[in-house]
Amino acid sequence: MIQVKVKVYRFNPEKGDKKPHYDEFTVEADPTEKVLDLLHKIKWEQDGTLAFRRSCAHGICGSCAMKINGQNRLACETNLKNLKDPTRVTIEPLQSLPVIKDLVVDMSDFFKKYEIVKPYLIAKTPPPSAERYQSVEDRQLIDESTKCILCGACSTSCPSNWKNPNFLGPAALLKAFRYSFDSRDEGAAERLDIVDQNDGVWRCHTIFNCVEACPKEINITWHISELKKRLVSRDY
Amino acid sequence: MRYVKHYGTWAYILHRLTGLALTGYILIHIYLISGVHDRVSFQEEMAIFNNPIFKLLEWSLFSIVIFHALNGIRIFIIDYFNGARYHKQLLTGVWILSIVLFGAMGLIMFT
Repeated sequence: MIQVKVKVYRFNPEKGDKKPHYDEFTVEADPTEKVLDLLHKIKWEQDGTLAFRRSCAHGICGSCAMKINGQNRLACETNLKNLKDPTRVTIEPLQSLPVIKDLVVDMSDFFKKYEIVKPYLIAKTPPPSAERYQSVEDRQLIDESTKCILCGACSTSCPSNWKNPNFLGPAALLKAFRYSFDSRDEGAAERLDIVDQNDGVWRCHTIFNCVEACPKEINITWHISELKKRLVSRDY
Repeated sequence: MRYVKHYGTWAYILHRLTGLALTGYILIHIYLISGVHDRVSFQEEMAIFNNPIFKLLEWSLFSIVIFHALNGIRIFIIDYFNGARYHKQLLTGVWILSIVLFGAMGLIMFT
């Protein structure tokens, strides 16, 4: 067991907080425990007012994305022993989204951008008698992009997004790829028109923060580059 | 709030900074050259720059140009080929090539 000094971002505008501050807690933990375990121990044993999101605790729901030691990660997937110094952990909310309380951010803007890119299959032809067939190769092309759990770690790690809140951001652009490159989809043209705008793919400056932040190890920049290639080579 | 700077982040920051430096340089260059209209005044102006300090500055200008140009090619490969899959190796290549060319230019300029 090790003693971990946990510095946690605290902000409660409802209680009249004008600006955020940090609280420090000392937690006893096993090096194999996750950062989410630290947050549980703080909330259950030391300060019940601490607010954070979590649901599945197994890296699937994407609720516990937060900034841990200056880098976006899922708290439930971040093993203490994998941190540079497991005895000191700083936990902050996802950057650039409005904080509702402590580590809980308002994801409305994130999901608004997600909806803008039409994240669903658009069919213009009547359905065949059986399913819409997709070959193994065609499925392979979108395989990596289907792994997104919409945690928001990528978009809130993107400097282009911090500077320009109108930028669709990596998560929405990844979804644009996922559906536009799906062999069963027939709405790529309208989706590509959306990402071809000023605040679409062209605001991606290939900084790769999103790739480093993605807990599902999706190379988002590669998917955005595929969109760029499709845009510059499409027929008018 | 601070965010960790990764390998790719540094490439982006340096690309921006070298881009700004080159913009500044080109403005100064155009300003200085704009007053030169004949051979004599050109040679007079060149004489000012013909000293070790300006040579060193020129050498550092070359380092800025070479990094910006090579990283520009890296960005092109990322955007229009599959470079996003091996962007870190590309950046390492940019560094190695930049240092080699910088050294070679130093040899040409100072020997």
